[in-house]
Amino acid sequence: MNISPGSMRHLAQKLLALEAANPSSESAGEHEAARVCDKLRILLTRLAGADGFSTLLRRAMVLARKDDPSLESVAIRPDGSLEGFEKLSANDGNEAALTFIAHLLGLLSTFIGEPLTRRVVREAWDDQLPDE
Amino acid sequence: MTNGNSEKNERVQITRLPTGVPGLDEILGGGLPEYSFNIIAGAPGCGKTTLAHQFVFANASKERPALYFTVLGEPAVKMLRYQQQFSFFDQSKMDGAIRFVNLSQVVLEQDLDAVLDEIIKEVEASDAKIVVVDSFRTVVRRAQGSTTELELQGFVQRLALRLTTWHATTFLIGEYVEGELRDNPVFTVADGLIWLYQSIERNSIVRKMQIMKLRGQESVPGLHTFRITRNGLQTFPRTFGLAQSAGHVKGRRRLSTGIPKFDELTGGVPEGDSLLLAGPSGSGKTIIASQFIAEGLRNGEPGVVAIFEELPADYISRAAKLGIDLETARDEDRLRIIYLRPLDLSVDETVHEIVNAVKELDAKRVVLDSLVGFEMALAPDFRHEFRESLYRMIAALTRLGVTVFSTVEVEENFTSMGLSNFAISFLADDIVRLRYVSINGQLRKMMLIVKMRRGNHSVDMWEYKITEKGIEIGEPLRGFRGLTSGIPGPWSDESGENYPALRDDRRGSGEEPER
Repeated sequence: MNISPGSMRHLAQKLLALEAANPSSESAGEHEAARVCDKLRILLTRLAGADGFSTLLRRAMVLARKDDPSLESVAIRPDGSLEGFEKLSANDGNEAALTFIAHLLGLLSTFIGEPLTRRVVREAWDDQLPDE
Repeated sequence: MTNGNSEKNERVQITRLPTGVPGLDEILGGGLPEYSFNIIAGAPGCGKTTLAHQFVFANASKERPALYFTVLGEPAVKMLRYQQQFSFFDQSKMDGAIRFVNLSQVVLEQDLDAVLDEIIKEVEASDAKIVVVDSFRTVVRRAQGSTTELELQGFVQRLALRLTTWHATTFLIGEYVEGELRDNPVFTVADGLIWLYQSIERNSIVRKMQIMKLRGQESVPGLHTFRITRNGLQTFPRTFGLAQSAGHVKGRRRLSTGIPKFDELTGGVPEGDSLLLAGPSGSGKTIIASQFIAEGLRNGEPGVVAIFEELPADYISRAAKLGIDLETARDEDRLRIIYLRPLDLSVDETVHEIVNAVKELDAKRVVLDSLVGFEMALAPDFRHEFRESLYRMIAALTRLGVTVFSTVEVEENFTSMGLSNFAISFLADDIVRLRYVSINGQLRKMMLIVKMRRGNHSVDMWEYKITEKGIEIGEPLRGFRGLTSGIPGPWSDESGENYPALRDDRRGSGEEPER
């Protein structure tokens, strides 16, 4: 399957924008990227198990750091949550988050294909994402 | 008091769900009972997961959601990667109709009660009506270390009870070997047990399936072959084509072969008969069969030719040299040339292929060319039951009312005249034997009608030639003795062997010759 990194970046942008527009009370103060990851975690853990999801996150981080070294200051906690985005400036943080989430979705897409990845994402966001 | 009829009407009607596996519904006796608790067992790689997926994709909908639990063996994400390669994998069903849940962590970290609770929690939350646990064996194996047999039995019974009362149709998938059947609580509790086998003989893989148990309905017993392709599993019921009643009376019409003299000698081939053309290589068996098919096409009777030894293009080209245009008929779908030469072919698969072609074309004539090639195309595992296989194939075809010409190569010797190397002549209503004879230093060709079950036929031995127009039958070979040996000598009138009375009676009785 031909995976377009651009399309995953576009999808990542939408997810981050959705989270920025609808912060829930319990996630107040968390960076959008952390909230996107948390929503994906619930579904992806069901599909790949906690270890599988955690490996996917770490791999995405390795790839994303090559594109954006500022991600060196972001860490993945043992439970799969992210910390350190808030230490980045708003601009740097947003760009780094976009790079990281795009890589995460790209990895998933490489594995199960773009259509299924989009379906997983739509399910995680309760169909708030319009069909493309 | 109720009478028998009303009692019958009051019985609960069990809905049968389609399995999505071609042929399997027929084997199961109409589909899989709804709300049943089933096991799909077999060795790794024999198609258990694919079978379960086919069922799930054939039945799941938003109104009838399916939950697919994966345990230890293969995480769901990996399963999705591979299973989406099958044509039945409908991605739109991933929008709520089918959900995959990875149970590995619960199985690894907790006990059987927690596993049961997790399954039931997910089932109730999603209102699942189809549940698959893949692989259930790993759940049990994991539990066996710390669980007594009684606890394990309790777990299986509670799982079955809760899923059935939830009105879910359930599949537990497991890598079991047949020796584990005895005293295993999983098998005792199950309503249905589907066992998949995969065996290797020489270089061939043969896959077979058996319905070992199915409560509430009658399944077809025995082993049924199946194949896995990009469309998933396809099963070939061993009774395919044999269940329907014949509905045809053989011999109502006499068919022409397109060889006038041949028709004269046989009286025409009785419609619906199975005729065996036996002879050595190069004796013209394929030519007679081609002329038979071509004559049918001329008379508006579609035909099917199953070939095992040469490619369809070669077959068509060979016929064209005799002025027979099979290509046009094939292009117009009045003729189907089926080329079957995978080396691990099963008989049931062959029957399935040919019978389907006959039904699709409403074919009246079928040629099997040749039985030797057919045997070679079979996986070694099936060769030892070749006679039984042929019986099933010919029976399935003649039940459809088609007239079948089979060719068989005979290894010629010059001491006797065999009918075939397979002792299969009992399968044929009619037998025509071709052979070489050595006369005056020439290798000439001779034809003999050995048997026509439904009528008189010539008892002479006729010389024939293969010309550019096909088979040309000449005159009976007279004045020779020992023609059937292939090395005849002259009759001696003094010996008294040459009875004139016999010479005048050249038509047989139609009774079967002694074998």
